[in-house]
Amino acid sequence: MWNEGCVLLMGCSAPFSLKAFLQMCNLPVRVVCRANAEYMSPSGKVPFIHVGNQVVSELGPIVQFVKAKGHSLSDGLDEVQKAEMKAYMELVNNMLLTAELYLQWCDDVTVEEITHPRYGSPYPWPLNRILAYQKQWEIRRKMKAIGWAGKSLEQVLEDVDQCCQALSQRLGTQPYFFNKQPTELDALVFGHLFTILTTQLTTDELSEKVKNYGNLTAFCRRIEQQYFEGHDKDNSGTAAPRSAKRSLLR
Amino acid sequence: MGTQSLEPLPMSGPDFGALGEEAELVEVEPETKQEILENKDVVVQHVHFDGLGRTKDDIIMYEISDVFKAKNLIDVMRKSHEAREKLLRLGIFRQVEVLIDTCQGDDALPNGLDVTFEVTELRRLTGSYNTMVGNNEGSMVLGLKFPNLFGRAEKVTFQFSYGTKETSYGLSFFKPQPGNFERNFSVNLYKVTGQFPWSSLRETDRGISTELNFPIWKTNHTLKWEGVWRELGCLARTASFSVREESGHSLKSSLSHAMVIDSRNSTILPKRGALLKINQELAGYTGGDMRFLKEDFEFQLNKQLLWDLVFSASLWGGMLVPIGDKPSSIADRFYLGGPTSVRGFSMYSIGPQNEGDYLGGDAYWAGGLHLYTPLPFRPGRGGFGDLFRTHFFLNAGNLCNLNYGGGPRAHLQKLAEYIRWSYGAGIVLRLGNIARLELNYCFPMGVQSGDRICDGVQFGAGIRFL
Repeated sequence: MWNEGCVLLMGCSAPFSLKAFLQMCNLPVRVVCRANAEYMSPSGKVPFIHVGNQVVSELGPIVQFVKAKGHSLSDGLDEVQKAEMKAYMELVNNMLLTAELYLQWCDDVTVEEITHPRYGSPYPWPLNRILAYQKQWEIRRKMKAIGWAGKSLEQVLEDVDQCCQALSQRLGTQPYFFNKQPTELDALVFGHLFTILTTQLTTDELSEKVKNYGNLTAFCRRIEQQYFEGHDKDNSGTAAPRSAKRSLLR
Repeated sequence: MGTQSLEPLPMSGPDFGALGEEAELVEVEPETKQEILENKDVVVQHVHFDGLGRTKDDIIMYEISDVFKAKNLIDVMRKSHEAREKLLRLGIFRQVEVLIDTCQGDDALPNGLDVTFEVTELRRLTGSYNTMVGNNEGSMVLGLKFPNLFGRAEKVTFQFSYGTKETSYGLSFFKPQPGNFERNFSVNLYKVTGQFPWSSLRETDRGISTELNFPIWKTNHTLKWEGVWRELGCLARTASFSVREESGHSLKSSLSHAMVIDSRNSTILPKRGALLKINQELAGYTGGDMRFLKEDFEFQLNKQLLWDLVFSASLWGGMLVPIGDKPSSIADRFYLGGPTSVRGFSMYSIGPQNEGDYLGGDAYWAGGLHLYTPLPFRPGRGGFGDLFRTHFFLNAGNLCNLNYGGGPRAHLQKLAEYIRWSYGAGIVLRLGNIARLELNYCFPMGVQSGDRICDGVQFGAGIRFL
């Protein structure tokens, strides 16, 4: 039995990417939500999977782990395509992931109204404030290190727009990025776009940028329909609070 | 008549600590030509103090008030000695000397005496600096102490430890009630870190606590409120999943009460007397997310038999009851086993475990029977050899969880089955009045699968032994 620990706080994209990936590989997975999942993980990052005696965290190592067990989505690709896929995955990680973190932790309005309450909700006062501030300082330090601290919101949205443009062009009219079969890139892109489109923030600007590209929204809807509908009854959720159930299909 | 002066007894340092249990009054032989002073009535007319600086008068008055009540010379000497000890235990003087002299001056009575206390106050600030080397870790420890801060024996201490792996600190403020030193309160602020390899657990506690101590008749009570931000983590990547699940942050806000009755003549290797400690802690009703009721007790009885043999029996027990549906945390549970607990087993390595990590239990009991004798053939008698004892012991104990849905009868039954026990003999070395070292040869018995034993030679060092 494969178990997955994830933290569905403030629209973390990685759990969705991982869930999509595992569904695409046809591997049964049980999702468990815990408030302390971040601290349970050996690397400090969610999601992680607990298989038998082993604990593997973060999407990259999990993909490797799954590959070692004999399941892979990118076997059908040749070397050039694999390199291309890696490049796009890097782009998504550098751009979309950082933009999501920026918006959640560096935009003062969002931080105050949404992120802090959500991050601190499993904890009693004053721990909720302390942990939220601690996380904020950590993320801001990271932003400073990669040079994003000086960016304004408009610049970040511009970057997101450019990234979406590149993805949209690559996707074109195909069902998946590499034609007929889904790959890790599809899972990763789905995770991020799904998060952006469904996370409640103070402004809709970020999701608007994505919605500008019709084929990307269609892509997300398609994947949700194919892999997530009907699989949701496998979910078991405890502790972590979730607002409304997320869905693009309303 | 000449002046009489009491020799100051050797003290280990300016800090007050338990005075040597064999403290005796120094008697002065009267010279043959002089009158026998013992039965002569005297009156203490004046008590002088030399050397007071920032110390306020009122606390001094309380400590020396008894001296005025003395009726004869031996009484004066005894009461002055007691007053001297009371002044020293305040922890504000480095030295106290007592001088008893006849009264001079116009209003002097023929049998009047003057008692003079010559005191040296401690400096306003004392510091200490140590380096410590431990298990793969080195650290610098800086200590600062402000004794007698506002003149009424208040004390502020600060300790800071900066290590290669962890940093910890503690700040504490202590204030006794003037005239009643045993009634005091203190406020502490601290951050401590601990590593527990038997559970592959790392714990960091940041907390604040306030504590009130007061004696009632022969017992000592402590009321404490404590708020702790507790962070648990895995010590190694190979930690078991049960320990991984406990990682994270939690906030514990608890009220606790402890009662101690101690009639032993010494804390280490007592010859007679008994000790009873009962402690309860209620967490969760003053904030925080940990909710439980925790009880534990410690009982010890010592009796001296013939020929310097001492027989000692001890019993420990405890129970942790979580309130609500959250299970108990690994950091609150009890642990059993080791050179200071049930000997013959590895440190805290008895009971529920998962992949080699010991998780502790919600309820436990442990008992020990000891026979202490001096070293055979008594080498070094009267000196170094007196610090050693040989001892023969029988230890037993059990640890279990309470989360299987049974009632109190089922709990007792569970604690009574699969008892671990051990017996053996060894040598005990007493270190000052605080700690002891033991080197034992043990035979562990009743070992259950999952327990880790240490049969054969086992070494232990600590302050609290079963």
